[in-house]
Amino acid sequence: MRVCPFCATPNQEGVFYCKECGRRVDGTAATTVAPTREFKPSTDIFAVHATWGTARFDANSQIVMHVRDYTETITIKPEACTLLGRYDVGSSQRPDLDLTPFGALDKGVSRVHAAIYRNEDTDTLTLVDMGSANGTHLNGQRLIPDQPRVLRDGDEVRLGKLVAHIYFKH
Amino acid sequence: MTRLDFDPYSVLGLSQDASNDDIKAAYRRAARRLHPDVNRNPGAVVQFQDISAANELLSDTERRREYDRAPREVTDGLKFNFRLTPSRNHIALLPENQVFYLLAEIIPDRLAAEASNRKESRLNLTLVLDHSNSMNGARLERVKAATHQIIDQLNPEDIISVVGFNDFAEVVVPATTAADKPALKARVSMMGASGSTEILKGLSLGLEQNRKFLAPRLVNHMILLTDGRTFGDEADCLALAHEASKDGISISAMGLGQEWNDKFLDELAASTGGASAYIQTSSAVVKFMNDHVRSLANVFAERVTLSIAPDPDIRIESVFKLAPNPQPLPADVGAIPLGSLQVNRIISVLIQFELPSLERSGFRPIARLVCSGDIFGAKVQHHQIINEVAVELMDNAPQEEPPTAILDALGKLTLYRMQERAQVAAETGDIREATRLFENLATRLYELGQPDLAQQAQSEAEQVAYTKSLSDKGRKAIKYQTRHLLLAQAAGDNAE
Repeated sequence: MRVCPFCATPNQEGVFYCKECGRRVDGTAATTVAPTREFKPSTDIFAVHATWGTARFDANSQIVMHVRDYTETITIKPEACTLLGRYDVGSSQRPDLDLTPFGALDKGVSRVHAAIYRNEDTDTLTLVDMGSANGTHLNGQRLIPDQPRVLRDGDEVRLGKLVAHIYFKH
Repeated sequence: MTRLDFDPYSVLGLSQDASNDDIKAAYRRAARRLHPDVNRNPGAVVQFQDISAANELLSDTERRREYDRAPREVTDGLKFNFRLTPSRNHIALLPENQVFYLLAEIIPDRLAAEASNRKESRLNLTLVLDHSNSMNGARLERVKAATHQIIDQLNPEDIISVVGFNDFAEVVVPATTAADKPALKARVSMMGASGSTEILKGLSLGLEQNRKFLAPRLVNHMILLTDGRTFGDEADCLALAHEASKDGISISAMGLGQEWNDKFLDELAASTGGASAYIQTSSAVVKFMNDHVRSLANVFAERVTLSIAPDPDIRIESVFKLAPNPQPLPADVGAIPLGSLQVNRIISVLIQFELPSLERSGFRPIARLVCSGDIFGAKVQHHQIINEVAVELMDNAPQEEPPTAILDALGKLTLYRMQERAQVAAETGDIREATRLFENLATRLYELGQPDLAQQAQSEAEQVAYTKSLSDKGRKAIKYQTRHLLLAQAAGDNAE
C-alpha cells in the first residue's frame, strides 16, 4: 500500500499517481509540486513552508496546539474524528475541542468549523473543513470543504482569524 | 488443410532448423502458461489457438516439409514495429498485490512515409447521418456541408455511400465510386429533418451499403453521426458492430450536441477499432469530419489488433489507447481491434496489470503480446509480431524513475479516471464523493495549467452539490476534454 503524501488516501502499490487527488505518490513526491505551472518565488506558498515535518502519527501520539497570543497550550489525544469549533448555548452539538476560551467568537470560528481525522491504517492525521463560514487555512492555503489534507508536525492552521500551530508529541 | 496466415516458427519462438524435441518443448512451455485449463484470459485463448495450430503443423513431419518447401510470398519489405516499455524493470517482492504498467507502441516503418510511389489507400467509406427532427436547422446544414467537402476530397476511385436515418433508414447515396461528384452532392442536399432517432436502422443499412464493396484492399470505414439517443436497440447495435469488426469494417462515432449517449457510442466505436468524438458546436462539424477522413487516406496498415495474454496469476486491469484517438478499450476481448495504423503516426496503448503477491526472486514473464495487421503495400500482406514481457523480481528493488512517456500519460489518465469515478458516484447518488472528486479534479487541473477545464470541473462540483445531478453538457465536456489532454501530449511526441 502506498499512502498519498498529499491527501493520505491509500493507493495500491506500484501506482504513480493518487487516485483521489491526482498527484504523484511515488518517490520524493512532496517536492514535486505542479510541474507545469511556474510559481513566483515571492508569492509561492510552497516555498515559505518548504520544510515539512513528519506526517506520522501513531496510536500513542498526541497533538499539542499553540493558539497565537495565548500562552497555554492545548493537548489532545485525537479520536477517529475530533471536531473543532465553538460551543454556543443554542447549538445542539458540542465540539470535541471548544475554542471559545481562545476568543473564537471574535475571530469568526464557526460552531462546527473543522475536523481532524485519524487514520489508523496509515497512521496519519487529516484536516477537513466542515463547510465553515470563514474558512480553514492550512499553511496559508484555503481548504476546499470536505476535502481532507494531511496534517504534519509544525503545520499552521487558521480557523477564521484564529491562528494555531500544531505539533506532534510522540 | 487450412492455410496459416502466420509463421508457425515465430509463433513457437523457434528457428527453421528446430528439431522435433525443440518443437515439443516449446509447445509445452507455451501450454503451461496459456492453455485454457490454466489461463482463462480471452487473450490467452486466442493466442493458444495459434500456438496449437502451429504445433500441429510442425509436429507432423509431412505437413512441415510441405510448409518449408512452399514458396514464400515475396514481401516489399515494409513492416511495422512493436515496442513495449514496462513501467519498471525491477519489481520488489511484496506480500500484497501491486500494479504494473506497460506501454505498447505500434510504429509504422520509417520508409513508409518516404516511399514516393506509395499509392494513397483506397477508401470504402459509408456515412450514416442522423436527420431526425432535432438536427433541424444549422446542424443539418453543417453536416451536409461537411459531407460535400468529404465528397470533394475523395479520389475518383474511392467508394462512398450515404445513409440517412430517423425512425427508419434510407439510402441517400448508394455505394458507388466517387466519380460524379456534383450528382452525389445534389443527393445529399435533398436531405430534410424529421422524425426521431433510431440508430440500429441507420447502422444496419449503412453496413449493408458498406459490405457491397467490402474488400481487404480497401479501408472499410463507416462514420456514424448522431445528436440523440436511441432507445432499446443499443444491444443490437453493439452486436452489429461486432459483426462489422469481424468483416474488417471500423466504425467511428461522433456525437453532436448534448443528448446523445456517450457510453454507448464509445463502446460501439471501441469494439470495432474506430474513434469516438464529441463535437460541441455544429460549426466544428465540418473541420472535424474533414480531418477524420483525411487521416483515413493515409493508412499504412488496416485491421490492426492487439492480443494480450497475461500469465495465469496476472490480471489485466484496464487497457487505454493513448494515441491517435485517446479512448478506453475493452479489456475482456481476445484480440482488441485498434483500427488503422497511419503512415506517420504511432498507435500507443497503455495496459495496466495487477500482479499478485510475489515471493520468489528472479526473472519471470508477465505477458505475451501479439500485434497483427494487414499492411497495404504493392499488395495486402498480413503481418504479425509477437513480444514477451519479463521483469526481474528482487528483494530490494532499486528506486528507478519510470519512463517519461508512461509517467506523462498516467498523470493525465489519472485525471480521466477521476472524472470517471466522479460520474459513477454522481449516478449512484453518492453526492459527497462526486463533489469531492470534481473539486479535487479542479484543483489538479489548475495546478497543471488548465484553468478553463478546471473551471468546468468546479462548476460541475457545484452543480452536483446543489442539484444532486450532473449537467449533460458539462459532464461530456469534462470527459472528452480530459481525454483530449492525452492527445495534446501524443501530438507532442510525434513532433519529436
